[in-house]
Amino acid sequence: MAAAALRPAILRRIRLSPSPAAAAGAAAASQPHALARWLARPMSSHDAHLTRDEVVDRLLDVLKCHPKVDPSKVSPEAHFEKDLGLDSLDTVEVVMAIEEEFKLEIPDQEADKIDSLPLAIEYVANHPMAA
Amino acid sequence: MAAAPTRAEALSLFRSLLRTARQFSDYNIREYTRRRAADAFRENRALGDAAAAAAVFADGKKQLEVAKRQAVVYSLYAPKAKSIMEMKLQ
Repeated sequence: MAAAALRPAILRRIRLSPSPAAAAGAAAASQPHALARWLARPMSSHDAHLTRDEVVDRLLDVLKCHPKVDPSKVSPEAHFEKDLGLDSLDTVEVVMAIEEEFKLEIPDQEADKIDSLPLAIEYVANHPMAA
Repeated sequence: MAAAPTRAEALSLFRSLLRTARQFSDYNIREYTRRRAADAFRENRALGDAAAAAAVFADGKKQLEVAKRQAVVYSLYAPKAKSIMEMKLQ
């Protein structure tokens, strides 16, 4: 039949590319750390992710630059209200400053929970869009 | 009379005002809006009277609407040059 004769010709023309997930998984498997990174943030084209140390440094700088914060009290374990003497309004301002520093938009429910540096570090370090 | 706003409502309004303030392209207006919101919330933070707190909160919401509208209007007349305050000095 004509159809049977055409079949190989057609199949030769059609080339299926491997699915992106399979390709990414295979690429990740070839590099040991890439696999973990790929599993944590699949489909991300954003490879140069911030390191945790960088996040901590920049967060400490944001806090130290805040007019109401005593820079000597800033440490990676500090609580905004208990250790740095900020009130709830200051905390809102600090979280906004963190958003600006890392070009993020933190939803209100998340932003309400961030009341200390460990939580802020955790949030920013795990955020795929932090820059 | 409206009930006094809860702490969460007040903080949410404050955050919305700061977010809107951030949209102004003109440095002076942006900073003024931010400062004005922070000052007003500090000034009224200890209002004990429920009716007074509700009135102030309603006024804040009205100001938020004004700020949102003005952010759109000002975006049409964005300054061509940056303020010296925005420039990173070496």
